[in-house]
Amino acid sequence: MREEILLGNGAIALGLVEAGCQVVTSYPGTPSSEILPEVVRLVKSEKLDTYVEWSTNEKVAFDNAFAASITGKRAACCMKQVGLNVAADSLMSSAYLGAVGGLLIISADDPGPHSSQTEQDTRFMARLAKVPVLDPSNPQEAREMVGLGLEISEEFRVPVVLRPAIRVCHARQNIAFGKIEKNQSKSVFQKDPMRWAATPRFRLILHGELNKKLDQIGEKFEGLSRYNFHNLQPGTSYPLGIVTGGVPYAVIVDILSEEGRSSDIPVLKIGTPFPFPQKLADEFVSACEKVLVVEETDTLIEYLLRDRHKVLGRLSGHVPKEGELVPGVVHEILNKVLRDLGMEALQEDDTEAAELLKTLNLPVRKPTLCPGCPHRAAFFAIRKTRPKAIFTSDIGCYTLGVNLGAVDTCLDMGAAITMASGFYHAFEQDGVEKPIVATIGDSTFFHSGTAGLLNAVYNGARFILVILDNLTTAMTGMQPTPSLGIRADGSEGKAISLERAVAGCGVDFIEVVDPYNIKEMTQAIKKATQYVSEPQGGVAVIISRHPCLIAYRDEAIPEKKIVTVSDDCEDCNFCIDRFECPALYHDQELGRININRQICSNCGVCVQICPKGAIVEVDES
Amino acid sequence: MDSVDIVLCGLGGQGILFMTRVIAQAALDKGLNIMGAETHGMAQRGGSVVSHLRLGQAQGSLVRTGSAHFLLGLDENEAYRNLPFLAKGASMYVNADPKNFPRQEVRDFLAKRNVTYHAIPAGNIAMALSAPQSSNLALLGYFSAFSEGPVSKGEFVATIERLSPERYREKNLEIFEAGLSRGLEEKGA
Repeated sequence: MREEILLGNGAIALGLVEAGCQVVTSYPGTPSSEILPEVVRLVKSEKLDTYVEWSTNEKVAFDNAFAASITGKRAACCMKQVGLNVAADSLMSSAYLGAVGGLLIISADDPGPHSSQTEQDTRFMARLAKVPVLDPSNPQEAREMVGLGLEISEEFRVPVVLRPAIRVCHARQNIAFGKIEKNQSKSVFQKDPMRWAATPRFRLILHGELNKKLDQIGEKFEGLSRYNFHNLQPGTSYPLGIVTGGVPYAVIVDILSEEGRSSDIPVLKIGTPFPFPQKLADEFVSACEKVLVVEETDTLIEYLLRDRHKVLGRLSGHVPKEGELVPGVVHEILNKVLRDLGMEALQEDDTEAAELLKTLNLPVRKPTLCPGCPHRAAFFAIRKTRPKAIFTSDIGCYTLGVNLGAVDTCLDMGAAITMASGFYHAFEQDGVEKPIVATIGDSTFFHSGTAGLLNAVYNGARFILVILDNLTTAMTGMQPTPSLGIRADGSEGKAISLERAVAGCGVDFIEVVDPYNIKEMTQAIKKATQYVSEPQGGVAVIISRHPCLIAYRDEAIPEKKIVTVSDDCEDCNFCIDRFECPALYHDQELGRININRQICSNCGVCVQICPKGAIVEVDES
Repeated sequence: MDSVDIVLCGLGGQGILFMTRVIAQAALDKGLNIMGAETHGMAQRGGSVVSHLRLGQAQGSLVRTGSAHFLLGLDENEAYRNLPFLAKGASMYVNADPKNFPRQEVRDFLAKRNVTYHAIPAGNIAMALSAPQSSNLALLGYFSAFSEGPVSKGEFVATIERLSPERYREKNLEIFEAGLSRGLEEKGA
């Protein structure tokens, strides 16, 4: 039997192809990004004809999958939790309209957060939309729940949400492959405008229908003992029980087993937190004097347990209200509860190592742009040319421009542009001409930049917008952008010109520059500055174009430059403060700046930035 | 739970994920179950990278503090940062200058916990073989010399052969062997 060590996202992909899912759409976002590429890998190896696409954003991904579903095909859309915010309008509405072929929304949560702007809990989004949500504890379960979700969706004609958290998506587990067959279903669209184009009057009827479906699904979940179960011994009562689900379930089971406490502290696992298996929960709670709820990342189960006097969790102060529930934290939670209840505690965690670490003064490692990153060159030029500007920015690797003092704001996808126009109008109202430079990546621009840009131009805002075009979606793992004309499965698509898209938004000033040439980049910014304040001026767009070094390893630096630091270096630290290349460091022995050859990309940009001209190119020949 | 827990750490770009894959695949080939946790996304950009690997019976993907049997560090400071994961009697293998490893402040802590430690200048070895990015394989070879954990040297070699992209295969094995002989010398001495 074929067995592979799959990433959780790979296990989800396997679940999708095993369940005959015919359409899979996605917009990349950590921790969900690898699902679609893993689907593509399986589609190719198993010679399937599954339709896959990188959509321009999550709402687009959702709607495409939804349409496929109502033709009777099984469809899924994949995104990260904040991506579901972008698709929230579609989610809420589709809950009423329903599904025909199974429709699975995979929304990956990021407790921590490791790579997100919030720690929001997708289970609450599902509850808000009134659609079922499944919460896997490990990759294997996630893979099974994909099939379950599609079946429930089809049986009850309702979209279903799968919420894998980061420790499922980015866990690795050995998974045995099942049977994979091509799904031969053909699309049929039954016109039914009272459903698919329902007006408010019909929406009320559909809402009633949805509520009935939820009651039925709730009944089904009560008996779904593979994913909702407890280990109470009949006729026994317990001082404490634990209610949990998702990743914390796995953590709890490991700890109780390691500590030999599995039999005296029963656990109720909830794999389907909504609709909530209320009877099962009541049965469990009634056998326990107190129940501790351990869930990520919010308080859904905790709210849904009815016997409020028994419930311990976030609301009682026993579980932290923010941050990831890693094993060490869960261990601490359990001990606090056990002590509060006068029960025997677990072995104390040894804190000596943590204390020792505090005395070691280890270097703080903040994430930084890679050596040779073209964004660094662009940010350097921006900050140098417009030092007093407000720098609005966006979601992507380039948020790390904050380290170079060239990023002041980061709200959500597309907000570099919308906040720039907001800043402009707020200051303009006071008669203040505030310099504003917005930075946004190419993929983010296609995701949600155009509406904001069009709005800014239409409403007469004035600012410089630098589109950092590195010809890829770098942060999430090098997915192609629409401007490349490469589709999710590697086939050729129509390349969308960034220049034409910008011009289409009504922008009259567009310059394309390679930021590696700091001088040209600086000149372009000066020209743009002038345009912004001209009577007929408006939004000036600079497309700062240079390929990402990770995505284009062999082409990004056509002429490698060997650079060194000469004795002219006065150790002023300007290069480290303003350029922040990880390859530049202060050499204690030399008493000046030096270059770490192990990580230097040989881009040669730093030669242009030293005020003393002390960083020089070495003639190799 | 009955699992061998390993924490692998270093910096972005040092090849932590590949090293993890080699160990995991080799263990799976021996019939062990695999559970692991990786770092992706923003955290990868130049920051600390940690990978957890649990071989055997484990439900969760993260190693609990105080329970790792092995710590493999591609960066000395990152190895220190992950000290809290070490169990009593654990072993650590670190890419560092053997003459100066570990820092004085850490010695007592390791002694008290019966933690054995081994240091190899894996970065220099890889550099000398003109593959500066491959310190991961030197460290893995070095680790394999001490025959700790469920995977043998031969099994590592076979797995590296299988998982390496063709154009790096020979180089990867060469660097692994260099780390291995370094470890064998030390063990013999």
